[in-house]
Amino acid sequence: MIFNSLAFFVFIALFFPIYFALKGRNRLWLCLAGSYFFYGWWDWRFLSLIITSTLVDYYVGLSLDNTDEKPKRKQLLIASIIVNLGFLAFFKYFNFFTDSFALLAGSMGWDPGWNTLNIILPVGISFYTFQSMSYTIDVYNKKIPVESSFLRFATYISFFPQLVAGPIVRAREFLPQFQADKNFEWNRLISGSGQVLWGFFKKVAIADSLAPFVDQCFMAPEGFSGIHLTIGVIFYSFQIYCDFSGYSDIAIGLARIMGFDFPDNFRTPYFSKDFSEFWKRWHITLSSWLQDYLYIPLGGNRNGTFMTYRNLMLTMLLGGLWHGASWVFVFWGFLHGSYLVIQRLFGNKFGILLNYLHLPKTLQIGINIFLVYIFTCLAWIFFRSPDFETAVHVITGIANFQTFTVASIVNKFLVLKGFLLIGLLLTIEIADFNFDLNTILIKNPVFRVVSFAAIIWLIALFGTFDSNAFIYFQF
Amino acid sequence: MKKVVWVFALIILVFLGDRVGGWVCEKLTENSQFRYSRIYNGNLEAELLFVGNSRGLMFYQPHVEETAGLSTLNISYNGMPIDLANVIIQDHFEKNVLPKTMLIDVTMCDRQNQSLISGFSPYRAYSERLGQLIKQNAPKSYYGGGLSHLFLYNNEIFQRALYYLNKSDEDWLIDREMNQNLVDLIKAEKEYIITTNDYLLNSLTELVQTAKNHEIDVKLVVNPYYPPFAAKITNLEDFINQVEDRTSLKVYDYSMAYNNVKGFGDYQHLNKFGSIEYLNILIEDGILPSKQKKLSSLPN
Repeated sequence: MIFNSLAFFVFIALFFPIYFALKGRNRLWLCLAGSYFFYGWWDWRFLSLIITSTLVDYYVGLSLDNTDEKPKRKQLLIASIIVNLGFLAFFKYFNFFTDSFALLAGSMGWDPGWNTLNIILPVGISFYTFQSMSYTIDVYNKKIPVESSFLRFATYISFFPQLVAGPIVRAREFLPQFQADKNFEWNRLISGSGQVLWGFFKKVAIADSLAPFVDQCFMAPEGFSGIHLTIGVIFYSFQIYCDFSGYSDIAIGLARIMGFDFPDNFRTPYFSKDFSEFWKRWHITLSSWLQDYLYIPLGGNRNGTFMTYRNLMLTMLLGGLWHGASWVFVFWGFLHGSYLVIQRLFGNKFGILLNYLHLPKTLQIGINIFLVYIFTCLAWIFFRSPDFETAVHVITGIANFQTFTVASIVNKFLVLKGFLLIGLLLTIEIADFNFDLNTILIKNPVFRVVSFAAIIWLIALFGTFDSNAFIYFQF
Repeated sequence: MKKVVWVFALIILVFLGDRVGGWVCEKLTENSQFRYSRIYNGNLEAELLFVGNSRGLMFYQPHVEETAGLSTLNISYNGMPIDLANVIIQDHFEKNVLPKTMLIDVTMCDRQNQSLISGFSPYRAYSERLGQLIKQNAPKSYYGGGLSHLFLYNNEIFQRALYYLNKSDEDWLIDREMNQNLVDLIKAEKEYIITTNDYLLNSLTELVQTAKNHEIDVKLVVNPYYPPFAAKITNLEDFINQVEDRTSLKVYDYSMAYNNVKGFGDYQHLNKFGSIEYLNILIEDGILPSKQKKLSSLPN
């Protein structure tokens, strides 16, 4: 079931009244049943994967709590990781690895002669697997107490607002919130509804409006001019941002209405002044997961410069692979890893250069934001392209400055609409950054009513209502 | 209690804003110089009527008006299907002065286009016929438009109506040239098939018949393609035969009639330069009138 579908509106209209009418365990049972129903609506067979992951990590957690023997604890942890990553490896990466191996073998003159399997990728597997693993690792490291209630644990893993596309909420943040019943709160309803509405606007009005132009560009880039492709890449950068952060906003808003607080997943990432900052603003729950469970265990920045760079690169490469079973995602990770390494090597020198030129501070910040955005867009080209050939066509097309004429843009009305919506988005984000709109929303009822109404009008006027799936469902 | 009042206030504001916004959009659409606004405003006078999809835009009005000295109306639109054109033209015949000649690029019978039909929602209030077509093809959009009046204007047609608010749309034509990549890629293009069906051909036949009933001279043409692309259309002759059988009219095939690469925006569309040269060919052949050859002396 996807958020921007009629089925979801019916589901939520039935779910919320019953949720607030129930208390204690009954409410948790409703959450669990509702979450499984929400997921099973897509394909009920894959519920077995979530349930298996849940059972394994629940019992591993209990067993870890019952023993202090280091070797046994390690075995339990390894067993959990094998099961979780095993599912992920099979369903998401099996064909990728076999194809890549066959390609490598073929280049050395050996044909393994095997065929790819027709494997369906279970929606959201990367998200709930990481969420489940974080629990076991934290229990193993004694950072959190074991969860004794299966009901609470199963609800944590499958909680429907963030089950299929995050945010990835850690057990230490989420499980304690199940301890007490959440009463209906007016302020939570206001704030949550505002975030849900804003998420819908970003998804159905912005992301889905930009999508046709972007799809056209990346389907056959050879036929388009440099300026057309440049606009296509800019549009993609906002499409993926609005699509994914829109989903996160809806998830966070729904959870807030239900009484739960989720961490932010996006904080105006395209205003980042450097790449470290970008990763503190983009898909925050994934980057902090990778930092805590991969980068730091690899040694982080504790073992000298070379090892720091190696760890950064490995983390970003695996982060790329997490997004999808394709070398273009790995290369996207490589580019971001390189950006982080280069920034560590030359970042200070660039700052000194800007100072040397006596540029005003705001202009320096502007230059930094612009450069980070440009290089992020360069990486997005690989992320969006189905293969390297397409990415190269897009880049060489853009590099052909002779074709930067307004006349060569195809479908100028879509372009006009796209830039209008992007302008609106940035204006509101800047206003939110400066004035904390959420606080005003709660305190000022007139502002609240007018802004809610305005978002609804904008959705009616610009929304796309074809129930387009969210991009991150495929990850 | 106070909180419930705010909820009602929101509902009322959303409703009122939607209606007021819808009304403003309606007035903007009415006042636009966009071709469909002019049609539905009524009393439009055009002796020559051009019909097509994006390929029909190559009937470049300013050049025809200058050369033929006749008033023109081009109702072509990107992706325009013949069933939609049929409805709009019937409305045009009812509301405006009848044209003397109608020129149709028949390659517009190659597709149905439900999303474009739903995009014509801004004009549905002016035509029962159009409303029915939208209801049949895009029922969700039809009922959505009843619920929210702003939603009626959630489409490119309205955006174009805004764009042409204070300017004429007669100059609407692509102005780019094919890039070298596209020219080179034609070799890799696979065969192209014009797909049509009974429904679309019946719509064309109905349109031709309606025009004939109004004693309007109808001419059917196939506008130029980039010749190496036209060579890849494997069923063009069959398609033309089908159209001729249904309509009992000759189709003038200009698919290969123009071959200057500078005149193409892409494989299927002439740019402004190419359009002017193509229209000169039509005038030379007597398909279009010139100031010297008036409509009455043209071949049937």
